[in-house]
Amino acid sequence: MAASLDAIAGRAPERMGGVSRVLLTLLPLAAVLYGLIPVLFAGQPYWLNVMTNGAVLSFASLGVWLTFAIGRVNIAQGAFALLGGYVTALLSTLYGVSFWLCLPASALVAALVGAAIGWPLLRLRGIYFAMVTLSLTEAMRLAFLNAPGLGGGGILNIPRPAGLDTPLAFYLFAATLLLAGYLLVWRLATSRIGWVFRSMRQNEELALSIGIDVARYRVVAFAICSAMGGVAGGCFASLQQNIYPASYTVSDSINFMLYCFLGGLDFVLGPIVGTFGLVIAFELLRSIQEYQALLYGILMIVVMLFLPNGVISLFPLLVRRFGRGAS
Amino acid sequence: MVNASRRSVLKGAGALALATTLSTPSIVRAQEKALRIGQLGVMSGPEASWGLVNKYSALATAEMWNDKGGYEIGGTKYKIEIVSVDDRNDPKLTVSGAERLTGSENIRYFIGPNTDTTATSVRPIAEKNNAIYFPYAFARSLYTKPAENAILGMIASYQVAPIMYQQLKEQRGVKTIGFVARNDSDGLLQRDEGVKVAQTLGLEIVSSSDTYEPTITDFFPVMSNLVSLAPDLIVLSSAAPAHAPQMMRVARELGFQGLFACEAAQDIKIINEVAGEYGDGLISIGGASTPEIRSPYMEEFIARYTKVAGEWNDEAGTKAYALEILLATLAAAGPEAIDDIAPFKAAIDGFSMKNPFLKEESQLTYVGTGDFGQKRQIGVPMVITETKGGAFTTFAISSVAS
Amino acid sequence: MEQILVNGTILAANYALIALGITLIFSIMNVLNFAHGQMFMLGGLIVYYVCVVLHLPYALALIAAVVIVGLIGMLFEDVFFQRVMRISNREENTMLLAVGTSLLLENAALSLFGEKQRAIPPIVSGVYRIGNAFLPASRALVLVLSLVLIAAVLVFVNYTKTGRAMRALAQDRTATLLMGVDAKRISTLGFGLGAALAGVAGGLLISISGVNAGIGTAISTKAFIMIMIGGAGVISGSLLGAVVLGFAEAIGYALIPGSVTYLLIFVALIVFLLFRPQGIMGKPAA
Repeated sequence: MAASLDAIAGRAPERMGGVSRVLLTLLPLAAVLYGLIPVLFAGQPYWLNVMTNGAVLSFASLGVWLTFAIGRVNIAQGAFALLGGYVTALLSTLYGVSFWLCLPASALVAALVGAAIGWPLLRLRGIYFAMVTLSLTEAMRLAFLNAPGLGGGGILNIPRPAGLDTPLAFYLFAATLLLAGYLLVWRLATSRIGWVFRSMRQNEELALSIGIDVARYRVVAFAICSAMGGVAGGCFASLQQNIYPASYTVSDSINFMLYCFLGGLDFVLGPIVGTFGLVIAFELLRSIQEYQALLYGILMIVVMLFLPNGVISLFPLLVRRFGRGAS
Repeated sequence: MVNASRRSVLKGAGALALATTLSTPSIVRAQEKALRIGQLGVMSGPEASWGLVNKYSALATAEMWNDKGGYEIGGTKYKIEIVSVDDRNDPKLTVSGAERLTGSENIRYFIGPNTDTTATSVRPIAEKNNAIYFPYAFARSLYTKPAENAILGMIASYQVAPIMYQQLKEQRGVKTIGFVARNDSDGLLQRDEGVKVAQTLGLEIVSSSDTYEPTITDFFPVMSNLVSLAPDLIVLSSAAPAHAPQMMRVARELGFQGLFACEAAQDIKIINEVAGEYGDGLISIGGASTPEIRSPYMEEFIARYTKVAGEWNDEAGTKAYALEILLATLAAAGPEAIDDIAPFKAAIDGFSMKNPFLKEESQLTYVGTGDFGQKRQIGVPMVITETKGGAFTTFAISSVAS
Repeated sequence: MEQILVNGTILAANYALIALGITLIFSIMNVLNFAHGQMFMLGGLIVYYVCVVLHLPYALALIAAVVIVGLIGMLFEDVFFQRVMRISNREENTMLLAVGTSLLLENAALSLFGEKQRAIPPIVSGVYRIGNAFLPASRALVLVLSLVLIAAVLVFVNYTKTGRAMRALAQDRTATLLMGVDAKRISTLGFGLGAALAGVAGGLLISISGVNAGIGTAISTKAFIMIMIGGAGVISGSLLGAVVLGFAEAIGYALIPGSVTYLLIFVALIVFLLFRPQGIMGKPAA
């Protein structure tokens, strides 16, 4: 598994220079996000909205991918999306703060809370970390439900971001956000930090023994993840113009985790492919109404049965086959 | 794609072209004109029944009119098509679903969604795309200016409580009252509103702090407290049809002798199955249709609903109103209202029709001025029922002041 | 006070069946069964169908729930989980599969049984008084049945050959394989038994409160809490976890009116795990 990840990380010719390597990775994604999607769906607000959802959800999933990279199954992203959503909601409705300032504030608060909670929690591993983060999602919902001053209710009439009046504009913003997130996570994964993360995932004790400050790196990864969740929550709060304690529940947190699995944990592109795949599949399955959710479940099982390492693992498989055929 | 699916539900509507794709906004068929009405709501997951009842009600009404050759608006008969979208109670999916209905499908009128969370998420889309929607959610801001595209499809809990408690005080001598609420936004808000009403009426509130998680499986621990205080009336704030009968059974098993009240609609079949012998003495807001007050038209609707859904749901007695009044208002506003909501909005204030669902002669209008400052609510009759011998009986009939 | 004890005992007994099942599956397969709550729900709905729709006796309905849900569990293990565990890079990938199966079960149940809350008429009626506490006969029956089943499972895993093989497999897979145990068969049986326990728990609960198709995720979350408290993969731990959660709920609802009981349970759980990451009975991680 490490081999395949390293293969992706180190695939670009060794000394090609940072800039061209970045371009090589970013360009195809940018072409799809800025070219293909807007051209296909320009006049269709419905599909633009679906793509916006896909982009913002992908952004949050990228964060979850980062915690997977340090070997933790994180089912708390819904909690941080909720937190970020409330930060944006409170700042913009109570103090009239602009969306463009609310968003970084959401990121900051989510990161701080993530770091504070993550510092002790990240000592847990495996199933325990998974389950405790799942509990955290529930705890966050209950905390907002019982928070004095919020009255258990939601916050309504959150202003829409200035300058993003049309579905296309909001989509383009979401696409830019996603691209920036991708660049960030890709940069982390291919840098020395990425190498540290991988060594931590494989063997934390060993990483510790060679002098890596494991605890600090863990918290950094988790805080970045949380910040990305907070930003996504802030975006959705102003897109939907409301936030409720029930806006993000355990099933949202599980979905973020699933997107990563489905796309493939060994690839930075994995969460993006997984998110868009599942979001679009769900919309296409609308044509069968009552069986929509049923087929969604079956689809997930089928993917797992035949591509247990994610949809992207199909491509190296194909490349290998074709490569062999050619030689 | 939505068309294809809807037809699979509308069995017997005939095999029609399935070739509607994502990009084609609508199909125009040769002879008859179609009127497409949307329905957006939660139809899977724990709250599935809320949206499904909306869907089945709309389908039943549509079938009834289509069998008569369509609904006549401005001299032309329109076949009614219901386009359903499941939002899974997820605001993200509600937003894209609303875009789908009002954008891609170019539908101007839709029924739903079902909760405050989803309904408030729909508002910006509906206003941007000029659509009228009929939520089953109580958030006041949806119906109060500057908002003017939402029409509340049912009676809000805060409209029921004053009348219900007053009647209980006068008719049953209720003096002490206790509240138990579902621990979510709706439940806590309904409880707080209920407590205010009880205070105004001078009832003694013995407890208002008990709550339970929506995911609860056993009400024994929750109800023990309240029952030990022995109030005359226990109010089950925002209790789901799944939960109210369990709470009643547990309270009775713990020796509770008083009455129950709930400002939300309940389901008699579930009450009989779950509470059984303990099912008596629940005062709740009925589905606007007890056997004593039904018209033959309502009987017909019930038969059709049962055919569509498999079994009758009392909630449909309320949800039957939305499509019926929507169509009648369109007819009153004229054919141009089909593609433009401005004439529809103008017609709301003066609109009045004979209530087709009630045996007695009465008028069906839009109401809500008292609570929202404008007529943005369907004037569904407020039928307060009491469970007795395994059936809903009429306890009191009232209405929301216009 | 007596009422709190009675309430806690009833809750704990029902929770114990759930926790026992998910622990069996986790310890043998190392799979976190996200579909456990859905199996619970399915067991309840099967009992409803047999009792209310087919008008057959409750005992038969319970047996049907055990057999059907058990077979579904074995089928899932044999067809889905074994394959994925064999060919995937990471063990966590089975989580996605488990979530997929939970969606499948939930929506299949929604299509088959409808969206409504289902319950069956009480098997027995009447209420016992214990001191100041009330104990309805139907709850007493469920309590007794739960305790009998828990005892039966404990006897099975401790004193039968198959049961001991399951425990051995859970403790040390490699060594057990070397000893010539048919691990494939034992795993399938273990998964089936775990699922059947969830099914029977649902079948018991439907007689006192009722079940609907959407209840699954909530039950799974509770199951997770219990195995976190007790220690994942340890049978005694799962029972202890059930007792702790059952009484925490009963005490919380009685003494902390207001809506913070579950919030406190979660916060306490998180803090507790910081000091004892392996749960009460779990062995410290190697």
